[in-house]
Amino acid sequence: MKRLFKDALARRGMSLLAVLPGLLVLLVVLGLFLKSRAILGVEPLSRLLFGTSWHPLRGEFGLFPFISGTIWVTVAALVLAVPVSILTAIYLSEFAPRFVREFSRPVVDLLAGLPSVVFGVWGVIVVVPFVGGVLAPLFGTSSSGYSVLAAGIVLAIMIFPTIIHISLEVFASIPASLREASLALGATRWETARHVVLRKGSQGILAASVLGFSRAFGETMAVLMVAGNVPAVPRSLFDPGYPLPALIANNYGEMMSVPRYDSALMLAALVLLAVVLFFNVLARRILVRAERRAR
Amino acid sequence: MKRTILALTLAIAAAASAPPSPLSAQGPSQELTGRLSLSGAWAIYPMALKWAEDFQKLHPGVRIDVQAGGAGKGIADVLAGAVDIGMVSREVNPAETAKGAVAVPVAKDAVVPTVSRRNPFLAEILRRGLRREDFVAIWISGSAPSWEKLLGRPGATAVRVYTRSDACGAAETWAAFLGQRQEDLNGIGVYGDPGLAEAVKRDPLAIGFNNVNFAYDARTRKPVEGLEICPIDLDGNGRLDPAESVYATRDDLIKAIAANVYPSPPARELYFVLRGKPQSRLLLEFMTWVLGTGQKDVPEMGYLPLGPDRLAKGLAAIGATDIRK
Repeated sequence: MKRLFKDALARRGMSLLAVLPGLLVLLVVLGLFLKSRAILGVEPLSRLLFGTSWHPLRGEFGLFPFISGTIWVTVAALVLAVPVSILTAIYLSEFAPRFVREFSRPVVDLLAGLPSVVFGVWGVIVVVPFVGGVLAPLFGTSSSGYSVLAAGIVLAIMIFPTIIHISLEVFASIPASLREASLALGATRWETARHVVLRKGSQGILAASVLGFSRAFGETMAVLMVAGNVPAVPRSLFDPGYPLPALIANNYGEMMSVPRYDSALMLAALVLLAVVLFFNVLARRILVRAERRAR
Repeated sequence: MKRTILALTLAIAAAASAPPSPLSAQGPSQELTGRLSLSGAWAIYPMALKWAEDFQKLHPGVRIDVQAGGAGKGIADVLAGAVDIGMVSREVNPAETAKGAVAVPVAKDAVVPTVSRRNPFLAEILRRGLRREDFVAIWISGSAPSWEKLLGRPGATAVRVYTRSDACGAAETWAAFLGQRQEDLNGIGVYGDPGLAEAVKRDPLAIGFNNVNFAYDARTRKPVEGLEICPIDLDGNGRLDPAESVYATRDDLIKAIAANVYPSPPARELYFVLRGKPQSRLLLEFMTWVLGTGQKDVPEMGYLPLGPDRLAKGLAAIGATDIRK
């Protein structure tokens, strides 16, 4: 009787705790929405999301430069990171000798654990001068280096571990028998990797990229330090950009003295959260389906 | 980053507050005890640390924590009741006063325009200086003029304009000098005073601005290695007269601010902001000490002490009647 009671208690207690994180997300969304209502009430949403003029003191709250800045930086990071990460993961899972794999895994995970401010400082010291002094002249333009591209490079390095790690898991879930069948037919390792492993793992790789995207989309500090923070829509990779998280981080302290300013920042946070949430759920679903199919 | 800075400053503050020596414990019958917390502008941070240290030596029972995080954070924290004193390096605006902010001026410093020492036009810049209109053209009007245009010669080398990305007193004060607000300043936004100094140092075509204590080296009192102060041609006659060249050392500049040669803004008062009049005896004592005895530390830390009238006004604002010796 006592044991059964304990069992019931543990089940109830833990289920309650399990509900909590989910509830927290809802609470955050609700809180942000309530806070941003003050601005949603006076300005049409389309003007807020697609307006290009950001002058809070004059009551102009166009978030488009920040949204486009976020997209530029994220896309640049993904274009740089995804191919490299996937090829790395293929090498590690299909070609590398065992000890290389054993050794590189913790190294990759260590990269994932580095605080983002470390990447930011490194970006300012190394990436910004590289972009401004080497890449920009190479492409025939002039840039200070504080640019979308610099932010993209720093972000790409930050999302490598995420994509590599998940891709490795996906490749590991592909049955060895498939590879053996392919090799037995006379296919080379590369052919096997391309036609069997990549094919079978394609959805998983997509999910890995989407998770990397979410990380890149919300990353704040490292990007803030190298992106240039100019509230204008970037027109090239060498232009400075101003992503949403940087906007919030830079201005949070100041906002309370300007009417509707805090409301606008909360809306920015809400937009950010909505996009990240959407892509996370998408990635989860793809991943679950990929795993089910692999079985 | 902000959290890291916070943790770091907390650690520094803890280290700075040395354990009380038993010798100095004899004092008035009712020895002061308790805790005070300060947060806000980078510009006042070194000064506030020094004051906290000295005050704790005088009153071993008192603990004072100082955190830096920008003027915006200072005012937000004090109005939210998170700290006792907000350090603010810009004018306090009416909306903040309406929420109960009481601003007490405690010292003065300035924001100075900076260029890289590797600037190809450096000699010319130092000889002529730039006029206020030039700065307006650089930071406010949509497209910055070329260096050659600023210096009145043919050519088209673009000026790379930098500003601060975080809400801060330096940018607000510099913008005030140009008749605008921080959000109106064009340029690449860099986080923090040290970050901006670093960016300008490295980019030969850059122009930026810094608080005095980040533009000058505290030890040598000369401009920070690699950085040069961009002189302001105050009378606009196209050359830097001897009276206008006040940037060789930090002491020269401080003297020029005191003599009102260097204009205000970009020279500005630094404030301790309280929420209402001080409620605790400790806070009142600390504030009166800062405005009295504490002012003697001001010049050696690279700031300008306030005149007696401003000090008296500050004391009146906190409801203290006399300056404690």
